[in-house]
Amino acid sequence: MNGQGEEAGHIFQIRWIPKYTFVERLLHWIHTASFIPLVATGLVLYLDTLKPLAQGDAGQWMRLVHRLIAVLFIAEPLVYGILQPRRLWLHIKEFSFEKDDLGWLKNAFSYYVRGKHDAMPPQGRFNTGEKINGMAMIVTWILFVVSGLIMWFGKGLVSAELFRWMVVVHDLTTIAALCMFIVHFYLAVAHPLMWAALVSMRFGVTSATYAAEHHAKWYYGPKRAMELYEAKKRNDSH
Amino acid sequence: MTNTWVDLKNADVILVDGSNCAENHPASMTWINKAKDDRGAKLIVVDPRFTRTASQADLYVAIRSGTDIPFFGGMIKYLIDKQLIQKEYVLHYTNAANVIDPGFKGPADLDGLFSGFVDDDGDGFGKYDQSTWKYQLDDKGNPLRDETLKNPLCVFQVMKRHYARYTLKTVSGITGCPPDKLEAAYKLFASTGARNKSGTILYAMGQTQHTVGSQNVRCMAMIQLLLGNMGVPGGGVNALRGESNVQGSTDQGILAHLVPGYIGIPRAGDHPTLAAYNEKETPKTGYWSNKPKFMVSLLKAWWGDHATAENQFAYDYLPKVESPANHYWMSLFEDMYAGKIQGLWLMGQNPAVSGPNSRMEREALKKLKWMVVQELFDTETCSFWRAPGVKPADVKTEVFILPAADAMEKEGSIVTSGRLIQWRSKVADAPGMALPDHQILNLIYLKLKALYAAAPGPFADPIVHLNWDYGKELSVEKVAQELNGYATAAIKDPQGNILASKGDTLKSFALLQADGTTACGCWIYGGYFAPADDGTGKMMPATKRRGQKDPGGLGMYPFWAFAWPANRRIIYNRCSADPNGKPWSEDKKLIWWDETQKKWVGYDVPDFAVTKAPSDPGGKDPFIMRVDGRGGLFASLNEGPLPEHYEPLETPVAKNPFSSRLHNPAIKIWKTDQGKSIGDNVGKTDKFPIVATTYRVVEHWQAGGMSRWLDWLTECQPEMFVEMSKELATERGIGNGDRVRISSARGEITAVAVVTARFKPFNVEGKTVHQVGMPWHFGWGGLATGDVANDLTPHVGDANTMIPEYKAFLVNIKKA
Amino acid sequence: MARKAMLIDESKCTACRGCQVACKQWNELTGWEYSKTVNTGSYENPPRLTPQTWTRIKFTEYDSRQGFRWLFLKEGCMHCGEAACVDVCPTKALKKQADGRVTVEPDLCNGCGYCSQFCPFGIPKLEVASVITGQAKASKCTFCQDRTDNGLSPSCVKTCPAQALFWGDRDKMIAAGKKRVETLKTRGFAAVNLYGEEVVGGLGRLYVLIEKPETYGLPADPQYPAMAMMWQNVIQPLGKIAIGGTVLGTFVAWLIIRRNIKMEEVE
Repeated sequence: MNGQGEEAGHIFQIRWIPKYTFVERLLHWIHTASFIPLVATGLVLYLDTLKPLAQGDAGQWMRLVHRLIAVLFIAEPLVYGILQPRRLWLHIKEFSFEKDDLGWLKNAFSYYVRGKHDAMPPQGRFNTGEKINGMAMIVTWILFVVSGLIMWFGKGLVSAELFRWMVVVHDLTTIAALCMFIVHFYLAVAHPLMWAALVSMRFGVTSATYAAEHHAKWYYGPKRAMELYEAKKRNDSH
Repeated sequence: MTNTWVDLKNADVILVDGSNCAENHPASMTWINKAKDDRGAKLIVVDPRFTRTASQADLYVAIRSGTDIPFFGGMIKYLIDKQLIQKEYVLHYTNAANVIDPGFKGPADLDGLFSGFVDDDGDGFGKYDQSTWKYQLDDKGNPLRDETLKNPLCVFQVMKRHYARYTLKTVSGITGCPPDKLEAAYKLFASTGARNKSGTILYAMGQTQHTVGSQNVRCMAMIQLLLGNMGVPGGGVNALRGESNVQGSTDQGILAHLVPGYIGIPRAGDHPTLAAYNEKETPKTGYWSNKPKFMVSLLKAWWGDHATAENQFAYDYLPKVESPANHYWMSLFEDMYAGKIQGLWLMGQNPAVSGPNSRMEREALKKLKWMVVQELFDTETCSFWRAPGVKPADVKTEVFILPAADAMEKEGSIVTSGRLIQWRSKVADAPGMALPDHQILNLIYLKLKALYAAAPGPFADPIVHLNWDYGKELSVEKVAQELNGYATAAIKDPQGNILASKGDTLKSFALLQADGTTACGCWIYGGYFAPADDGTGKMMPATKRRGQKDPGGLGMYPFWAFAWPANRRIIYNRCSADPNGKPWSEDKKLIWWDETQKKWVGYDVPDFAVTKAPSDPGGKDPFIMRVDGRGGLFASLNEGPLPEHYEPLETPVAKNPFSSRLHNPAIKIWKTDQGKSIGDNVGKTDKFPIVATTYRVVEHWQAGGMSRWLDWLTECQPEMFVEMSKELATERGIGNGDRVRISSARGEITAVAVVTARFKPFNVEGKTVHQVGMPWHFGWGGLATGDVANDLTPHVGDANTMIPEYKAFLVNIKKA
Repeated sequence: MARKAMLIDESKCTACRGCQVACKQWNELTGWEYSKTVNTGSYENPPRLTPQTWTRIKFTEYDSRQGFRWLFLKEGCMHCGEAACVDVCPTKALKKQADGRVTVEPDLCNGCGYCSQFCPFGIPKLEVASVITGQAKASKCTFCQDRTDNGLSPSCVKTCPAQALFWGDRDKMIAAGKKRVETLKTRGFAAVNLYGEEVVGGLGRLYVLIEKPETYGLPADPQYPAMAMMWQNVIQPLGKIAIGGTVLGTFVAWLIIRRNIKMEEVE
């Protein structure tokens, strides 16, 4: 990494600081690499246009691939949790909400849609939206795994009623997770304000400026970040 | 069957006793259901166990196995006491009015015996001198009759006294059936005594496989005569034959005492010449007076041109027997066991599983030098030498298995219980080297003939002269033509008109001659292969017809195949009309006398001289096969002229309530190896307190040779089981599905317990008697396996037919 | 096209199981080599419907007020008027034919097994090649589609020696069933009833029962599974809207923010 970016004809210096560990990135990408084909092989059952892929031998293959990848999908957090239970716990704590998150929610629309990037209260290493995404991933993972395993191995062992519930739960979870994923994907890949997100997830670093703006609580520490935020608000109101 | 399968639809009450027709003759239900649907018919099922047939019954009556005579005897008493008999029918069509010899005494007088009993060795079993079991005759030699039925010696009064002892209380006590159930059954069946009603009785091995089997059947015939149900649509005594073509094989003289067409086999001592045979065996009256014609035609069929008037039509070629009784199944196996028989040739038989005391029969097979089996699969009999526990090296019998074709793999006729001879085409080729049985026999015969021709022994003529020209590849049609009968010379009527030219296939057995101008392999089949109209004007051999016209709507279907005799669907059908020739009722109108045409007309072939008017001499005597033309309420069998109750050889009862005779006095008791484990032992209640019976289930066929090797059927009924009541199971600590050991005086087997409410203990004279039941299909071979039920059954049979007593014996049962 | 139905007169069934075997013969299904059945203290075998047993007789011993009864029930696909199996089948392997028959096209089936789990009667069975890989095929009675397509009756109907089975237009079968119920009432069968006329959209398999359905082990009031209804009619369409909405929403948001943001302001 040369630490330089070229934009609009002039050269400027970016100061890179570390944001994500290698393991975090690895987990993210394994999760992504399993989630996308799982959704794809699942959607063939859902979308009429993909029906031919669901039928007969093709369908059998889809179901086989779905199962193979499901193993990865299930195993990844489990292995992580077994190898580094403390870190997993810290992540979960990091995803938990605080009072400040209300401010993000209030300003999210004007910030992310209207592009008023100065309106946002300071955020930690994960902003509220990322926290929502993280928590959703945990919850959907649990729902996917439980309902999926019951559908996989439970035929004839569990009651039909429970099985039917599991099918519906799996479906609802897919819908929810897919919607989350679309937003997440958009923010990471196409949203102009989030230009560094993908970089961070690829290379583990982010720009100091970007961090100062988007993750002030993490960059400056909660106290300093708040002071800066309050000061900025006063300036703006004058 | 006196009637037909389809005719069941004409019945108002259907009494099934000793048959499980829903299981073993599923097609019967088509017509039973039709009778129920169309006529509101009622179904009575009498059986020790609640069968799948019983599930269809309007009235189910459970009686202890082996007590059919008390059940029917009670019914006869009920009919007489309540005056429910069809009086006009009984008076004219039965021998009720005939007066019996004053020397005749019955069981009421002689404590369970009839007059004339001879006990040669003092063991309580013997033979009857039947000389007092006869009618008194008038000056002309005709039976003396008292049409008031008041003469104390007339059959009706003799019968009435005989069955006076069969009170509801006694019958209930011995059968273990509550009196109200008995009475309900009697009442319901008695309703068919009305002129416009008819009732049919269906029976099978449940009635015959007893030491009193023949008398069981007699009971039914008597009841049907008393109720006027014989010879009428929806009536009759209907034997549901146990094999699809067993009717055909009995027609062909497969039984030891017969040659084809129910002609008695000549006996060495009694019938040295054809003239002696004809003299002794031909009645003066009745249709059997034609017997010499049938016999000569049979000899002509067998030895053709070598059978001439000069050589008694080759009568000397015909093997004679000392006594048919020596050649019945059990006699053969006793002889085999004794080492008197060297070789055995079996076709589609599996005695290792099906024979009574089959472990003993398997021992008997070991004493053979050789055995040939024509079979579809490697049955237990084919491989008896490697049965469980048998060391092949110890068995010296040389066994040859000839792979045989299945019924679907060959052409020919099959005869149903209803005497219907239906031609069937070959459906598929037999696999591998398998050949139809007839072709195997053809090849064997041709080889034998060549060997005898090359080196004739002292008496080769019967073999080399045999009229056997069916081709190298046997032509079934040629055999059929011979069975049907053909003219060996032109036959003319007294006016000189030619009735048939030489070589013609005969249209009827009425054309058979005693002078050698006709040949016929089975007289009752006369006309079955002759060209006939199928109802549409198309001519073809009668048996091949599939015409579906049904004039009269009674289901006679006269254009469908051919029913022997003479395409007659209901035999004794003269009885369907009253003495004056008018149908008893419009509803059951079958044949009647047409005064204008001066002949009998109707929907069936009259079982009567077609132009004999009711007013003619004998015009009211409908049973033309009988000497006196009347139905025999009183008719002699080996153990008496009236059925009397005797207990099975193995009985839970200490005393017969009707007399001090516990067992049928005329049965043969074998004593081979008594006391040894598989000898002819008789079990007693001290060790074997439980009544057992054997039977078949719908999923399997006989000894299993055709079903236990089949995947689909095995799945339905995969292994040997024993059914018992919940009460017995509780008493013995047996749970449903447990493996149990069942033992009898012959041996022990294991099976899965099926504990069911379909079996109930009987209250026999105040004592609880348990009954269990087992299918006899299973053996160690094939896919569906299990122990052989017949390892438990006794080597004892009916006093007349020697059919084994498979249906009632004693066992004990324990959790394995 | 008139809806077809099978009428099963259980008052006439003798449990000969000709239907069970005829079904296997016609549809080329295997028997003992597959199921390895054993006697467990009953005539009833195989113990349940399987991928290789599309119809079978269930035996029930019952002490009715009118005396002991041995009841027989010919089990098999009910060909529901509202067939949940068809609704949940993601491959269209299960089809509702114009005449009401619910048929299976094995070539289309991918073995998901939803049909077996959503059927209110638990009829379709999965031949599972491997639980791990999920390789499977669903099968069930199709009313012998190849026969009935060509105007023949299903093989079980053809074979029934007691003539307890009937095949024809559903309204005629209902009329015959009702008539039979009346007849049996006059013959003293107090509890006789016609099963399947109305439930689950009206069944394609109608029963004349001489005892209550529950006595035979049939649900008295079978229901189209609410979960299938919710899943197919609510969740899936709403889900499509949600997903589509999200895609569209993000796209619009992207257009908006592209206009509002000058890239040089970033960073």
